[in-house]
Amino acid sequence: MARLKHHDDRCADQDLLSAYLDGELRPGELDEVVAHLTDCLDCVAEFHRIKEMRAALRTLPELEMPERLLPSTHPGPELSALLDGELATVEQELVLLHLGECDDCRAEFHELDAARTAVRSLPGLEPPEFLMTRRDAARARHRARWRVVTAAAGAAAAVAIAVGMLGGPAPTSSIDVGQFSDQHNARASLEPGFGVSPVYLSQGEAP
Amino acid sequence: MAEELVPTWEDVARRYGRKIYNFAYRLTGNPDDAADLVQDVLLRVRKGLAAYTPGSFDGWLWRITRNAFLDGVRRRQRRPTFPLPDDDRNLAVASPSPDEVLASVRLSEDIQSALLKVPLDFRECVVLCDVVGLTYEEIAEAVEAPVGTVRSRIHRGRRMLRELLTWPV
Repeated sequence: MARLKHHDDRCADQDLLSAYLDGELRPGELDEVVAHLTDCLDCVAEFHRIKEMRAALRTLPELEMPERLLPSTHPGPELSALLDGELATVEQELVLLHLGECDDCRAEFHELDAARTAVRSLPGLEPPEFLMTRRDAARARHRARWRVVTAAAGAAAAVAIAVGMLGGPAPTSSIDVGQFSDQHNARASLEPGFGVSPVYLSQGEAP
Repeated sequence: MAEELVPTWEDVARRYGRKIYNFAYRLTGNPDDAADLVQDVLLRVRKGLAAYTPGSFDGWLWRITRNAFLDGVRRRQRRPTFPLPDDDRNLAVASPSPDEVLASVRLSEDIQSALLKVPLDFRECVVLCDVVGLTYEEIAEAVEAPVGTVRSRIHRGRRMLRELLTWPV
């Protein structure tokens, strides 16, 4: 009783009220609490408040743990993340432990590793001309125009040589325009959508 | 679980994983932190089982859990946590009517928010008692404090919560 007596309208050791609710009183304390609760309205009110709070806490829904956290769960995306060095230390250790014990996952891991290596070993490619940016395309057109001029100059020079008007060596074309044109026509005949002629490209017009 | 038997870490994961997850979730209000803690605890258990001598398994496990939690708190010190509403998909128990579900979810959110405002020393004792369901003695072992201190923290923690919540809900 001593610890639950009134002290200036306040009761000491109200911890006993929670212990009482939890069935955690020590020998001899039960009588003390029960006797006090019969004549202290403050403590009765406090007892009910704590009882209500305790009940509310105990009705909190129990959440399901994500199944992936069980050591027996086969890792999925974690295998790729492991290959890429993207797992946190603890998770990495757990996945490695699983790999040490699971033949299936070890096999999958090696397959993923091979696939990842294969993808990473693909050569880098230049984009096709029609996928180039406008700026790149403008540069390409500029280059193409100069090639036509050069080719025309070459042809004129060839004619000049043929008629014996020039004595010096003939300049040569940087590309074989005829061969390029043949290739383009052949592809246009096979691919219906591929109808943009070098002339259109060089003039910047839509087909 | 018989105290004489030393479980494997897979056993611990199956039997205690959900409790550990709920403990961490109620202390942090964050499912990712709760998942991290479960993984951390399982690894520590796996390493610690070799040296474990049969005794109070719960006390041993929850001491490990609590230490892992405190280490996690230190790591996350600069990362603020926010109370999240309970994810319906994670609810282990089905609730009867939509109204009751809604009221229950609101109550859970209120309590969760209030829990996060209670100082950690008190919060962990309340959670270990009312969420995990440990005895005062087991809690004392887990938090490495005398039973009298645990008793006081549980009561004061509940009082703080009661004052933080607007009743009747």
